[in-house]
Amino acid sequence: MNLLEIENLSFQYPDTEKKALDNISFTVKIGEFVVICGESGCGKTTLLKMLKRELAPHGEKSGSIRYHDVEQAELDDRTAACEIGYVLQNPENQVVTDKVWHELAFGLESLGFPTDVIRRRVSEMASYFGIQTWFRKNTNELSGGQKQMLNLASIMVMQPKILILDEPTSQLDPIAAADFIATLQKLNRELGLTILLVEHRLEEVFPIADRVMMMEQGKILLFDRPEKVGTQLRDIRADHHMLAGLPSAVRIFNALEVKAPCPLTVKEGRDFLSEHFGNVVDHLDIPPYTHRDEVALEMKNVWFRYERDLPDVLRGVTFSVYEGETFCILGGNGTGKTTTLSVLAGLNKAYRGKTLIGGKKIGEYKGSALYRHNVALLPQNPQTVFLKKTVREDFQEICKVMEYGKEERQTLIEETAGKLGISHLLDKHPYDLSGGEQQKAALAKMLLLKPKILLLDELTKGIDAHSKENLSGILCDLKADGITIVIVTHDVEFAAVNADRCALFFDGEITSIDTPAAFFSDNNFYTTAANRIARHLYTNAVTCEDVAELCRLNSIAQKPESEAVYG
Amino acid sequence: MDKAIRSPQKMITACLLLIGVPLIVVGGAMLFQEKHYAWISLCVAILSCLPLFICFERKDSTAKELITLAVLVAVSAAGRFAFAWVPGFKPVTAITVIAAMYLGREAGFVVGALSAVVSNFYFGQGPWTPFQMFAWGFLGFLAGVLAQPLKRQKIWMCLYGVLAGVLFSLIMDVWSTLWADGGFNLSRYLAACISALPFTIEYAVSNVIFLLLLTKPIGEKLERIKRKYGLFG
Amino acid sequence: MNTFASYHPAVLMLYFIAVLLIAMFTQNPVLLALALLGGVSFCTLLERPKDFLHNMAFYIPLFLMIAITNPLFSHNGVTPLFFLNGNPVTLEAVLYGLDIAAMLVAVMYWFKCYNHIMTSEKILFLFGKVIPKLSLLLSTALRFVPLFKAQIKKIHQAQKAMGLYASNSYVDKLRSAVRVFSAMLTWSLENAIDTGSSMKARGYGLKGRSHFALFRFTARDGLLSGAAVFLLALVLLGTALKETAFSFYPRITALSASPIAILAYLAFGLLVFLPFLLEIVENMRWKALLSSVPKHGALSLSDATPGKDDKK
Repeated sequence: MNLLEIENLSFQYPDTEKKALDNISFTVKIGEFVVICGESGCGKTTLLKMLKRELAPHGEKSGSIRYHDVEQAELDDRTAACEIGYVLQNPENQVVTDKVWHELAFGLESLGFPTDVIRRRVSEMASYFGIQTWFRKNTNELSGGQKQMLNLASIMVMQPKILILDEPTSQLDPIAAADFIATLQKLNRELGLTILLVEHRLEEVFPIADRVMMMEQGKILLFDRPEKVGTQLRDIRADHHMLAGLPSAVRIFNALEVKAPCPLTVKEGRDFLSEHFGNVVDHLDIPPYTHRDEVALEMKNVWFRYERDLPDVLRGVTFSVYEGETFCILGGNGTGKTTTLSVLAGLNKAYRGKTLIGGKKIGEYKGSALYRHNVALLPQNPQTVFLKKTVREDFQEICKVMEYGKEERQTLIEETAGKLGISHLLDKHPYDLSGGEQQKAALAKMLLLKPKILLLDELTKGIDAHSKENLSGILCDLKADGITIVIVTHDVEFAAVNADRCALFFDGEITSIDTPAAFFSDNNFYTTAANRIARHLYTNAVTCEDVAELCRLNSIAQKPESEAVYG
Repeated sequence: MDKAIRSPQKMITACLLLIGVPLIVVGGAMLFQEKHYAWISLCVAILSCLPLFICFERKDSTAKELITLAVLVAVSAAGRFAFAWVPGFKPVTAITVIAAMYLGREAGFVVGALSAVVSNFYFGQGPWTPFQMFAWGFLGFLAGVLAQPLKRQKIWMCLYGVLAGVLFSLIMDVWSTLWADGGFNLSRYLAACISALPFTIEYAVSNVIFLLLLTKPIGEKLERIKRKYGLFG
Repeated sequence: MNTFASYHPAVLMLYFIAVLLIAMFTQNPVLLALALLGGVSFCTLLERPKDFLHNMAFYIPLFLMIAITNPLFSHNGVTPLFFLNGNPVTLEAVLYGLDIAAMLVAVMYWFKCYNHIMTSEKILFLFGKVIPKLSLLLSTALRFVPLFKAQIKKIHQAQKAMGLYASNSYVDKLRSAVRVFSAMLTWSLENAIDTGSSMKARGYGLKGRSHFALFRFTARDGLLSGAAVFLLALVLLGTALKETAFSFYPRITALSASPIAILAYLAFGLLVFLPFLLEIVENMRWKALLSSVPKHGALSLSDATPGKDDKK
């Protein structure tokens, strides 16, 4: 039975030349879990919005969308509102009311249900989602993960038949994201709910999807079972941008030219490696860690709390970062990572301990001296960086503050924008950029300060894999220019690729510091998926590239008689 | 069915307004003879808000209209926090006036009146709440009526900012006189006005500053939203 | 303190209106003294001792200021005490000043209690049925305020970390605050479009919206409202019959001690101390409950003590 039938659907926004959706046809069966992915701007969000009549954008539409054999335009108002649930990307923006219980009841109020029905449905849903402990709280007291769970629950009380979600986990930390995906899987398995999910973090959702749709430039590129999509994508174009976003097991598989079924999960990946590769060579030769002698910044036994009566957030943080080094601080939510950055940036003052920037105590920098050609902090939400109507105006303002000459300004802006690949965005409104573009523009603004030390908070939050690779490249260039970089992140994969050293933050202090290879090989849980796939064979493989490289080395060592062929 | 529910509701509202309200005012004034000024002033402040509130309730608003108003209300309340370190320097009036200029008098009234209620959830409700609701709501409504000249010429807008500061101060002084005195004592009112003069000047100045700084950015945004989604028609 | 707050919002509202109505609009010194005493003692239940003392430090000077300034403005009354700049300072005006100061401070205290008890949730519940659209608007605004405050802080920090307006001059601080504020505005209007979508996605705008609330009206709510209405009626009776009428000008009237007046005083006294009494009764009931526990089983003694903590 088909729940959704889309036929020859095309859509064009007003005042644009290209079609956002170009002759799309597909069907979704009842109870299916469909994951939709594609580069930003490929039309996936437009497609989702078209499916929810209330949110359909204005523009020129042709083709048909049928829900339960009824043309969308002819759907009854209540059915359309009730049966098609829609969850948006940003958890914060979707919360309408100030109380959790009111938020849950909101949809049912719109439908005009009487109090006792609402009470029953709300209590049932709160129990199912584990909301009862924070049922009476204010919505602004919730964490991002809780907010998104609340958004999902407040859709589910309306008992939808299909759930449409637009990158619901992109703003969540990995644990909350995994929780959310697990809940979706449960809804799909236990209630037979049909789910249409747009996601760019595919590691968890790829294996549980029934089918995966890959979109490109308003068209459907692939729509098939996940294991097929992974390999077919590589066959279509070996340098396709979306390849980087696939789960680690698929990426390793794709790099290896083995004739076997494509693994999707870590477990399948392990079995796949055991079956096809030996470990004659069990480690990569990684050049030993070296650093310059000059210390760029240092914290010695730093203690901090936000208010006198509140508990300590930092409890004796001690570490030093050498000049030209890229240093990643990893760790769970609320352990004090962001607070550490704020102390380093002089926004908060430690009540005990020493913070040295360039060998000088942070308190000795007067006025804005700390921020002149010295330290720059890129906060978590890049939107907080922009104040003007266009990116260029924002850039010019910062140049003015930095007292650059008029001509110097112009060339500096062009140069920086060129380096980060955002020259074409300079005259846009900062809020009209995509997440990745905003991040790059914000980074560019920081670079205009010509800092020696760059502090980056959650640089990769809500950014797709290709943009992440892009950012890695930029960081690499910055490092080559001699800039010291400190990154606070949840993203272990990103840290593994970019860091010279990684540190684990836990309970207000740094508990371990090491090079990525040693750091992640030592960790059993807090490590990359690639490492978890290969750790039973190889001792220091942390990225997909590492694993693939080792596999190739082994298949050469094992002689060509095995199935594996050097690729 | 819908109409059946609505018409008795309308009847009740009408009865309430035409009979109940005057009854309460007159009855209260007779009952509390000693302080009927305070009583009547409170009733007037509340009653003058009613018609516009009812009008707003009756109209169908889209989700986006409602959210836009909620944002403006919350922004002006949050503004009272942002500038709490400068007493009297608050953007409530300016935002109310801007809302009225671009979204109409009713929106101006609602933003002004509700800003008072919402911010007082944080700063404390009191007998002053209805007066602030009335004062800000009225200033918003008036700005909506004068929207065209205010939008056309900056000087009018600035003058209105000054006027709004003075009016707000005068209205609130009526309140404090009535409450501190029990009756309307002219010399006390004048004294209150004079002692509040620094604040009045600050209101006026801050209104002008905020209007000059915020009108363009907010106005552009509101115009865009209005056009894009066809709101506040 | 939980006992009183846990009553139905409508009952609580009725109670506050009843007390404030009398306190705000009478000049009778007995009623005002009762209102002041009741308000202060109710406040001690609701606030931490530290905050309470803090308040005192504000209200006592306020009281004195109003009491002292009145005779300077008002020269009514027939018993001059002395002359100031050629104007008489009368006994009546002095006493009236005290009276009005008591009224103001009492009302302030009662509103303090009101703010503690009548949370936004309760207010929205009360008005939700009468003015559904406005109360939804209020609810959304209340949800936004803390969000915007947080955003202001974030933007401010981000700007500071770029070395903008790091100086401490007053003008600079103000300029940066205005800039941050206007950036927050843009941000909020931009992001609110999502909120609107989320409302629409959940059927906002369909005909026949209903109103849900967690509060339930029970027998004890009926009892309390009955008591409040009855007591209020007694006081109003006294007022309507002019038994509690009192005026200062031109000369101070005598306090009536008729049975009706005394009944009105008693009724109002009971009314203002009602929350206080309820709290004490509830406390005693808890103690009785706890002491009865060991009879059923010695083990449950330790289980029962947390109950005491819950009540704080």
